[in-house]
Amino acid sequence: MKIIISGSGDVGFYLAKLLEREYQDITIIDTEKEKLEYVQTNLGILTVLGDSTSYKVLKEAGVKQADLLISVTSDESTNIATCLIGKKLGAKFTIARINNMEYLIDKKTLDLKDIGIDDLISPESLAAREIKHILRSPVLTETFQVEGGSLEVMGLILDNQSPLNGQLVHGSMHESILDNFCMAAIHRNNTTIIPNASTIYNEGDQLYFVSLQNQKEQILKYTGKKEFEIRNVLVIGGSRTGKYIALKLSKYYNIKVIEKDLSKCHYLARHIPNVHIVHGDGTDVKLLQDEKVYDYDAVVSVTGNSETNIFTCLIAKEFGVKKTIAMVENIGLFDYSHKMGIDTLINKKLAAANFIFRTISKGGVFSHLHGVDAEVQEFILSEKSKIIHKPLRKLQLPDNALIGGVIRGGKGMMVNNDFMFEAGDKVFVFSLPENHKKVNTFFK
Amino acid sequence: MNFFHPTRFDSVKMVSRQIGGLHIVLGYSLILPGLVSLLYAEFFSAAGFFISAIFALLMGHLSYSKITTQHEPLSYHAMMVASLGWLSIVLMGAIPFYLIAWITPADIAQQFVPQGSNYPSSLYFFRNPLHAIFESMSGFTTTGLSMATREPSIGRGLLFYRHYTQLLGGAGFIVLTLSLLKQSSGKTSFLMYTAESTGEWLQSTVIETARSIWKVYLGLTLFCIVFLIVGTYLLLPDYPLGNNIFDAINHGMAGMSTGGFSTLDDSIAGYNSFGMELLHLLPMILGSMALPFYVKVIINKKYDLIWKDLQTISLIILFIVGSIVLSVMLNFSGKISEPFRVGLFQFVSALSTTGWQTSDAHQWDSASVFFIVMSGMVVGSAFGATVGGLKIIRVLALMKGVIWRINSFFVSDNSVNVVRFNQQRLLPEEARKEVSSAAIFTFVYMVFLMLGTIVSYYTMDAGFGLKDALFESASAQGTVGLSCGITHPEMSTTLEITYILQMWAGRLEIIPFLVLVRAVVFGTKPRIV
Repeated sequence: MKIIISGSGDVGFYLAKLLEREYQDITIIDTEKEKLEYVQTNLGILTVLGDSTSYKVLKEAGVKQADLLISVTSDESTNIATCLIGKKLGAKFTIARINNMEYLIDKKTLDLKDIGIDDLISPESLAAREIKHILRSPVLTETFQVEGGSLEVMGLILDNQSPLNGQLVHGSMHESILDNFCMAAIHRNNTTIIPNASTIYNEGDQLYFVSLQNQKEQILKYTGKKEFEIRNVLVIGGSRTGKYIALKLSKYYNIKVIEKDLSKCHYLARHIPNVHIVHGDGTDVKLLQDEKVYDYDAVVSVTGNSETNIFTCLIAKEFGVKKTIAMVENIGLFDYSHKMGIDTLINKKLAAANFIFRTISKGGVFSHLHGVDAEVQEFILSEKSKIIHKPLRKLQLPDNALIGGVIRGGKGMMVNNDFMFEAGDKVFVFSLPENHKKVNTFFK
Repeated sequence: MNFFHPTRFDSVKMVSRQIGGLHIVLGYSLILPGLVSLLYAEFFSAAGFFISAIFALLMGHLSYSKITTQHEPLSYHAMMVASLGWLSIVLMGAIPFYLIAWITPADIAQQFVPQGSNYPSSLYFFRNPLHAIFESMSGFTTTGLSMATREPSIGRGLLFYRHYTQLLGGAGFIVLTLSLLKQSSGKTSFLMYTAESTGEWLQSTVIETARSIWKVYLGLTLFCIVFLIVGTYLLLPDYPLGNNIFDAINHGMAGMSTGGFSTLDDSIAGYNSFGMELLHLLPMILGSMALPFYVKVIINKKYDLIWKDLQTISLIILFIVGSIVLSVMLNFSGKISEPFRVGLFQFVSALSTTGWQTSDAHQWDSASVFFIVMSGMVVGSAFGATVGGLKIIRVLALMKGVIWRINSFFVSDNSVNVVRFNQQRLLPEEARKEVSSAAIFTFVYMVFLMLGTIVSYYTMDAGFGLKDALFESASAQGTVGLSCGITHPEMSTTLEITYILQMWAGRLEIIPFLVLVRAVVFGTKPRIV
């Protein structure tokens, strides 16, 4: 599969990094030489210098043979033009990053698919979607569904109240529990652990569970956490991301948006119904007090400035806000979110890259967990596989790998020692990157 | 092009030129009543109209074509054109009344009196120029107060002319002129359009907008006329067809323009039929809705506005609630018979500022009079309709303003406190502007009403009370035309002039009138107030 990526900014770079492991043939186009050099040295992929709307540059990148052309520069018009031209020059599938929500929503007037852009992504609206997801179950740090909900992955952090602190992972899990969910990975001190017989829970651990449908209650009971409901959300920053959040969430929550720029305030006030708009600086403690930040269940800080977002969330935590979400530019900060005392960090570019990655790698690796080294891989067992029709306990699973769950005939299943694989099973395996090869050979 | 501030002389030239345009249109308009007079073989009346038409055309062409100026008008010029233009149109429009009253011989005038009656013709009242001006003002401003005590006795031609002035004045004389005469620039026409009407942009150009308004207005008038002819024929089959058609044409014009003149001696009560009263509700209600609303629905085909337009919906609710309340109040007072029939018709007539009458308001109790004045005449109907009064939209804006004010105590100082109003979301700045302009207008309106009431109180005939003074004054200022009897040809001159001024200021929504006063007294230079 040949893939061309236009734009080596954060989205482009991270996307290339994700794709590079899976597909050999990636070309990246950018107008800035330094950026391309960085890509070359860090990812070792082919680069083409120039404007991606130029015929010559696209041809040089091999657009004729390209299976996929992804344009993710910061300029919407460039992305659209690149995709239109690229499609005519032979790219089979095109994806453009856009800012104007109209293109996504109003497909009646003009569906961009009809003129040659097969898929659209907007980092801001994806970030808003992620936040909506997080707010729905605030006690969890992360949640996503596999295969339309047959299996669910949930992340949460152990607090000091948890009865699990100091207990053995395997010892604490009862048989009946294992039928419904399993502990898949622990993230602790910047390293990821796939739990084995001797792993012990610690306070502050980020845990990842794989479960059947509707097992949230069970998992919360197990970890001693309590779900709380979010009613009032304070959004700091009314730029594009803040606007989408307000638009998407105003149906479900009472929302107040604090924005520094008066003309942006006016725009929001005029266009977003049922949302309170406040003109002021989100880092101003006095203002936050005036706006009764302590009455809010969640604070979402999405200004263009990462430091402001982190700072505001810290203040909000001091005021006793239960859930804080900060948008940051620097992906490297993700490991430190819990240490900083912020519940969740999000990055819109990461969200966009992950989204594209998920769309194109249907099958194969389907997700990266935030800031965690562990990957979830998906395998479909064939008739010839050596591991079918044998109980699990007789198989030698590689170290640091764990079977999260199996989907058989569209239904999710948990595995225990007596479990026997069948041909056609979809198996989800958690493993650390260094074990990839072993895991691959084991299941293929 | 000279970009300096126009001198006083330039201002006078500009304003005169624009007013000249109005006179040209009036001149051509006067031909139609002349033809109607010929149709009914009223040759003296016809002569009166044609002479007036020639005079108006002459004056108009002189000032419109001979006066040239390099300047583009400013907004205060447009305001002055609106106020002075209306005054001069009214004065010019009074000439036919005056002229016909003087040239028609006594025996001919007596022929106008319907057969079987033996009162003297009311035509000669117009020999008093003030009465002629009063009638003309009442006509063009769509008020409907009249100096002709016996309406049918002034001749068919003049009778037609009275209702015709209401039709012309209804949708706005300046808007009519804009749609007919070519303007030197788009800016000029826009300023003129804004000075007289809502300023709503409905079509690609101001001229097209003005035309669309008049098209819809004339179309609706025609519909009302046909509706009345058919309705009258079905309800009163014995009513002579010739009279039926003449009545329907005149009542259609007077109803759609919410003018309220009538061809009958006793207004709509003259039919002595509840069915006919119900029939005449429709033109009043149609006339009370905003013309831009019709343009949007009929020409621009925005059908969803029918149930979305805040003003129209509020208006309909107010019609229903108001008539019920008035009926109950009249019933409670026990002073008149058939309170529900009277309450319905009179409230619709008052709120739509039409002025057709089926009951002698002098007999009413004070509470009912006060109610119909405050919630009917003072409120008026839709902004952009042919009505007078405060207009519903302003009342709604003020109500919203009150809620907004109260709510503002519950939000923090930094909040951008938007107001939802008429399908729009107004920013604080815009909302403040909206509410303050409504409040200013309401204040000025009330001050004028108070002055008018006081003058009425001291100058009216014996036998009337404060409630009658309030009723008559509110009726004149709101261009309603309901009368409790204070207005008649022998009334005091002071009061007659007061009502003329009130009608004029009320039709122009007072502010252009005050702009004119300011320009005349203090000049046009900006001042710090």
